[in-house]
Amino acid sequence: MRAVRLAVLVGFVLTSGSLAAINGKPQTSARVLVELLENIPAGKELSAESSLRTEAYNEPAFAFVRTPTKYSPHALALDRSTPFVLRASLTRTLPPGEYDFRLRARNAAWLLIDGKVVAATDPQKPNKESHDPMPEPALVDILGIRPLHYPHQQKVARFSIDEKPHTYELVAVIGGKGLTPFPGELSVSYGKPGQIPRLLGGNSAPLLTDAAWESYSEKSFRSHVHGDIVRRRNLSRDVAAAWNERHQLVRAWMKERSPQDLTKSSAPGDTVVDRLLAVKQKAAGIVANPVISDLAFLRRVSLDTIGMIPTADEVRAYLADPPNQRRYRAIERLLNHPGWADHWVSYWQDVLAENPGILKPDLNNTGPFRWWLHQSFRDDIPLDRMVTELIEMEGSAVQGAPAAFAQATLNDSPMAAKATIISQAFLGQNMACARCHDAPNHPFSQKDLYSLAAMLSGKPIGIPETSTVKLVDGFRTPNIKISLKAGEKIEPAWPFVDLVKPSEPLRTASLSPNALPEIPLFGYEAPTTTRVATRRQLAALVVSPENERFAQVMVNRVWKRYMGRGLVEPADDWSSAKSEHPELLQYLSRELLRGGYSLKHLARLILHSRAYRRKPVIDDKAAAQFAGPTRRRMTAEQLVDSLHRGVGKQLGSEDLNLSPVGDRPLEQFLNLGTPCRAWEFTAISNERDRPSLALPMAQSIVDVLTTFGWRQSRQNPVTVREDQPSPMQTLILANGIMGTRITRLSDDSAFTELCLQERPLPEIVRETFLRILSRQPNEKESKLIQDHLRPAFGNRRIPGAAKGTGKLRPDPRVSWANHFSPESTHIRMQEERRLRTGDEPTKRLTKAFRERFEDVLWSLVNSPEFVVVP
Amino acid sequence: MSRTTDSTFTRRGFLQTAAAALASPLTLYPEPRTLNPVSGKAESCIFIWLGGGASHVDTFDPKGRGDGKKTPGCYYETIDTAVPGIRVSEHLALTAKVMDRCILLRTITHGINEEHAAAANLMHTGRRPSETIVYPSLGSIITHELGPRTPEVPPYVVMGYPNGMRDPGFLGPKYGYVYLTQLDTGPNGLVRAPDVDSARQKRRESLLGSLRDEYVQRNPRDPVIAGQAAVSAQGFRIAGPRFLNVFDLTRESSTRRQSYGGEFGQRCLAARRIVQAGARFVEVSFNLNFLNGTGWDTHNDGQLKQHLLIRDLDQALAALILDLERNRLLDKTLVVVATEFGRPPEFDSGGGRGHQSAAFSCLLAGGGLRTGRAVGVTDELSRKAVERPVTVPDFHATIHAALGIDPSKNLFAGARPVPITDYGRPISEILR
Repeated sequence: MRAVRLAVLVGFVLTSGSLAAINGKPQTSARVLVELLENIPAGKELSAESSLRTEAYNEPAFAFVRTPTKYSPHALALDRSTPFVLRASLTRTLPPGEYDFRLRARNAAWLLIDGKVVAATDPQKPNKESHDPMPEPALVDILGIRPLHYPHQQKVARFSIDEKPHTYELVAVIGGKGLTPFPGELSVSYGKPGQIPRLLGGNSAPLLTDAAWESYSEKSFRSHVHGDIVRRRNLSRDVAAAWNERHQLVRAWMKERSPQDLTKSSAPGDTVVDRLLAVKQKAAGIVANPVISDLAFLRRVSLDTIGMIPTADEVRAYLADPPNQRRYRAIERLLNHPGWADHWVSYWQDVLAENPGILKPDLNNTGPFRWWLHQSFRDDIPLDRMVTELIEMEGSAVQGAPAAFAQATLNDSPMAAKATIISQAFLGQNMACARCHDAPNHPFSQKDLYSLAAMLSGKPIGIPETSTVKLVDGFRTPNIKISLKAGEKIEPAWPFVDLVKPSEPLRTASLSPNALPEIPLFGYEAPTTTRVATRRQLAALVVSPENERFAQVMVNRVWKRYMGRGLVEPADDWSSAKSEHPELLQYLSRELLRGGYSLKHLARLILHSRAYRRKPVIDDKAAAQFAGPTRRRMTAEQLVDSLHRGVGKQLGSEDLNLSPVGDRPLEQFLNLGTPCRAWEFTAISNERDRPSLALPMAQSIVDVLTTFGWRQSRQNPVTVREDQPSPMQTLILANGIMGTRITRLSDDSAFTELCLQERPLPEIVRETFLRILSRQPNEKESKLIQDHLRPAFGNRRIPGAAKGTGKLRPDPRVSWANHFSPESTHIRMQEERRLRTGDEPTKRLTKAFRERFEDVLWSLVNSPEFVVVP
Repeated sequence: MSRTTDSTFTRRGFLQTAAAALASPLTLYPEPRTLNPVSGKAESCIFIWLGGGASHVDTFDPKGRGDGKKTPGCYYETIDTAVPGIRVSEHLALTAKVMDRCILLRTITHGINEEHAAAANLMHTGRRPSETIVYPSLGSIITHELGPRTPEVPPYVVMGYPNGMRDPGFLGPKYGYVYLTQLDTGPNGLVRAPDVDSARQKRRESLLGSLRDEYVQRNPRDPVIAGQAAVSAQGFRIAGPRFLNVFDLTRESSTRRQSYGGEFGQRCLAARRIVQAGARFVEVSFNLNFLNGTGWDTHNDGQLKQHLLIRDLDQALAALILDLERNRLLDKTLVVVATEFGRPPEFDSGGGRGHQSAAFSCLLAGGGLRTGRAVGVTDELSRKAVERPVTVPDFHATIHAALGIDPSKNLFAGARPVPITDYGRPISEILR
C-alpha cells in the first residue's frame, strides 16, 4: 500500500509540472523554497487540493535537518500528519557540464530536474522486533565527503547541464506509520565527478564534508529555533490580545476594589519591598545585612536568573557600566537573556512532575511538556495564561505541548494525579493524602480530590480499587477516615469554595470565575485532543483574580526562589501555614495582577530590592525577617551548566533518543534532542539493564546531576529538593567522567586558547579566577597558583602542533532495532571505557604545563566556593 | 548515584518550619504490632537480578518436556538435586549439588504481565508506583534500616545500570547506591581518572586545601560553607584503598576466579568481595543479553541458546554459595535470585516463550535460613500456584525478616507512615 501511495505522489509531481503550478512563477533566487504538505491521501491521486500545504519557507540549501514546529493559534506545538511531505525547489543556472547529483534520505524521496525524476530512494521500514543485525560502519571517503550514516540511502544521478536555468525539486516523505517525523540528514548535493560535492543552493552553499555539514546543521538548528519563536508569536497575536484585554479588566477591577497605592517609596534606593520588610525587622529587633560586592552580586543574580555563572566578558561589560547603574543594567540584561527560560524550566519540571520516559513510557511517565514550559518563559507568557494552557492540556503529547501533562502511564487514575499536582502547584493545597483516603492533617476529603479530577476528566470519575486503603486481618487498622468505596462515582465539582465560590455572582461580572470561558480565547479546536469544558471552568477558577490564593502562591514561589525562603512556608502546602509578612505578600500579589501576570515584572520587584542584594543570612531569626537571602548552594543544573560555561565546553551528550535510526514511533521512543542545558536531561531509562541501551556521555552528566539532588525520574511533584551536601558530591566532581572533561585542556576548552595567548602569568591567573569564580584572586591566591604554574609556564606552547576537534562521538548505528546484537553491546561498552580517559588532550601545550594548569582548574571547580551562591 | 554519608550538616536544618514537628506522626499512627518476631541474623544481601523475566519452567520449576513447538513444558531434561524430591533443569547441575543451601520459592505471583519495567519496579520496590510518593528499593530500605557496616565501604552497590527501580525514593539520596557497569572501570566518581596518580592527586589536594581554607576564613560562622568545606575534605577519604581493592579480582586465586565462570560470574565474585569488605546490599545484574540474543527475555529464537545463560547462572551461583560458605559468610549473607516474571510452558510461534506473572520462581540461599526445601507448588505445567502462593510483599517481607528487619515497621515519607512492605508476611517456615 505504501508503494502505491508513493507512486501516486510521483505522479502528482509529474503531472503538476513544477511548483509554478502552485506558486504562479518559478523560484529564481538562490534561496530554496520549501513547502510542507500534510494529509497525504493514501492510494489516491494527490493534488494541490487533496493535500494541505501547511508551511512555506526558505532554506539556504537543499539540506534539511529540521522542519518548523507546527503551532496552533494558541502557540501550542501540534503534530503534523504522519507522513507529511517536504517539497523543496530552486531554479538556477550552473556552469554547463556534467554533474553528479547526490540524493541522501532515509525515507522515500525523489529528486527531479525540470519535472523529471532523476533519483529516488526507498521508503523506510518501521521496526517491529529489536533483532536487526548491526549494519557495517559508514565508509570513510577518501575525498572527505561526509560519510553516509545508517540508515540513510544515497542515490547518485549523472546529468549534463546546459547554460540555461533549470528547476531542481526534491519531494521527500517524512515520517509515516511507525516512523519518527524527522528528516534525518535529508540533502541534495552536486559536484563534478571525483570532486567533493556542494549542497544544492546558492554558489556559497556548504560542501558535503563533516565540518561544513555540522556547522550548517548547527546554524540551521538555531535559525529554526528563532523562526519558531517568530512564527508562534505571529500566530497567537489574537490570543495574546485577548489576554491583554482581560488584564485591563483586572486592573480596572482592582482599582475599584481597593485604590490603595503602595508604590511610592520613602527612602531613596529603598523599594516598597524594603520598606515593608524594614517595619517588620524593626519590630523584631533584626538589623538587615549589608549589601554584597558588585562582583558577588553579578554571580548571584546570574545564577538566579539564567542559571549560570557570568562569563568573563559579561563581568567586564558589567564593570564597564557606571557603578550606580551596574546592578540595574545587569538585571535588565539577564531578564532578556534566553537563559531566563532555561532556569525556570527546571523549577517547574519539579513542581509539575514533568517525567518523560525515552523508552516505551511507563511508571508515571508524562510526555515532554518541557518545551512548552520553555517557550512560555521564553515568550514571557503571562502566568494566568500559562496555567490555563496547562490545565487545558491541548496540543501534541510527544512534541512538547501541555497535552503531554495529561499523561500518567500505568497510573490508576491519571486525572487524580494531575489534580494533586495542579492544586499543590498553583493553590498550595496539598491533597496527596486524599488520593487514597480523607486527609488526616489537611482539610481535604477524598471526594474533594476526585471531584477536581472529574473536572479534568470532564465526566464523573470512579475511585479505583488501588486508590483505597484495604483493611487486612492481622494488620493494624490505620487511623484515617475512609468515606468512599472503590468504584464510587464522583461528579465534577470545584472543591475549594473557601478560596473562590463558583456559584455566587461577583461584582464585576466579566471577571467572575465563570466568565473566563466567555472571553474568546479559545477560538479554535485543537485537532489532537477533544476539548473538555470543565477543564476551562477549572482553569478560570484557578486564575480568577477573585481567587487571591493563586497570585499569592505564585508570588511566594518566586520570592522563595530568589530569597531562599518563602513568605509562606511550606510553599506548596498552605493549609496550616501562616505568613509573618501578609502586607508584603499582598503587595506583591497585587503587583502581579497589575503587571498583567508577568513573571518578569514580579522578578524585577524582588531583584531590584535592597533585600535581594544583601549578604546571606546565617541564622534562623534573621532569615525569617529576610535580613538577607538565605545562604544557598547551586542546584544540580546550575552546577553543570556553570561548569560547562566556565570552561567554554558543550555538554557533549548523545541525543536523548534510543531509536536514532528513526524506525520506531515517537510515542514509544521520544526524541528529547541533544541537550544544551542541564534541564534537558532525563532518566536514561535503562530498566532493562542492557549495555546497548546505555547513553554513556549523557549518563556521566546524569550521574553528577543526581548526586547533587536533581531527580532523573520525577514521579511526584516536589518544590524543595533534598540538598544536603555529601562526600559523594565531592567525589563525582573530583574523579568522575564529567569532572575530568571539565578540567581537561582539550582543543575545545576555552582555557586551552587562554593558555596559548601571549600573556604574562599573573594575567592568566586573574582571567582564570574571573572565569571560574567571577572575581579577582587575592594576593595569596594569586601567588599560590602562579607558583604552581611557573615551572612549566615559559615554554608551554608547542609551535606548529595541530588543533584537534576534542570531541568524542557516539556510533550512530546503535539503535533499539539492533540493540540485541552483540556488536551494539560491544560498541557501547567500548564507548563507556573510552570516556574514562576523558577528552583528547591538546597537542599545542606541553604535557607538563597542561597537567599543572588542569590541576589549577581542578582545585578551583572543586573548591567549596564554586558551588556556594554568594 | 549517591552514597551514604553520616554528614550532620543540614543546610536547611535551621530553617525547617514547625510544620513537620506539629504533625508528630507517632501519636497519630501507633506502631503496628509485630506479626512475627523477627529473628533473622543475616547482615548482608547479594541480590542477583535476572532482568527480562527468567523462565522458571526451564530452570527451577521444570514440568513435562516441551518440544519448542506445540507440546508445552520444560525445554530441557530435568535432574535430581541434593534435596530429595526437588528437580531442576539439566543446565543447573552445579546448583543442584548445593540445593541443600537453597530455598526455591516456586509460587511468586503478581499481575503485571506485559511491562518489563513495571514488573521489575514491583520486584525491586514491592509496590506499584504512585505519584504521591516514590517508594524506595529493597536495597535502600535495607541500607536505611541496617546502616553501613563500615564507613569505608558504600553500603549499597549496584553492578548494572542506574535507574528508578533501584533508587532510594522518599528515603532520600543518602540511601542511594554507587553503581558500576563494568568491573574494570569501577564506579564513576570513586576511581580517579587514569592520568591522575597519587602524586598528582596530592598536588591537587594541596592546592584545593589552600583555596578552601582561604575561603572558610573569609566566611567565618557560616554553616553552609562550613558544611561544604567539610564534605569536600571528607570525600577523598572514602575513595580509599579498602573499597577500590575489592574490584581487583587478581587478588583472588586463579582457580577461584575460574570457578565462577564468565563475566557474570566475575561480578558475583566481586559481590562476595564487596560484602566481605562491608557492604549491606549488592545487586548483581545478569544483563549479558548477547549470549543468546535476547537475555532472559526469551521470546522467539532467544529460546535456542537460553541454556548458555542458565549455565552461566548455574556456575556463578554455585560458586558464590560455596565461596561464601568457605569464607564463613554464607549464614550471614542472604543470596537472592530474582526476576520480574517467569514464562509460560507454551511456546510462541518463534519457538520462544511469552511472559507469565501468575506464578514464577525466585531463589534464596544461605542467610541463616532453613534451607534445602521448596516453598509452594505449581500446577502440572507450572502455570499457576496450587499451594502457598507468595506475593511480592511476602517475598520482600521474607528477605527483610532474614536480615532482622521487621517488615511491618513504618517508615516515614514526611509525616506519612509507610510500612516497609505492603502487608507482606514473611514465609515463617523458612525462618529460624
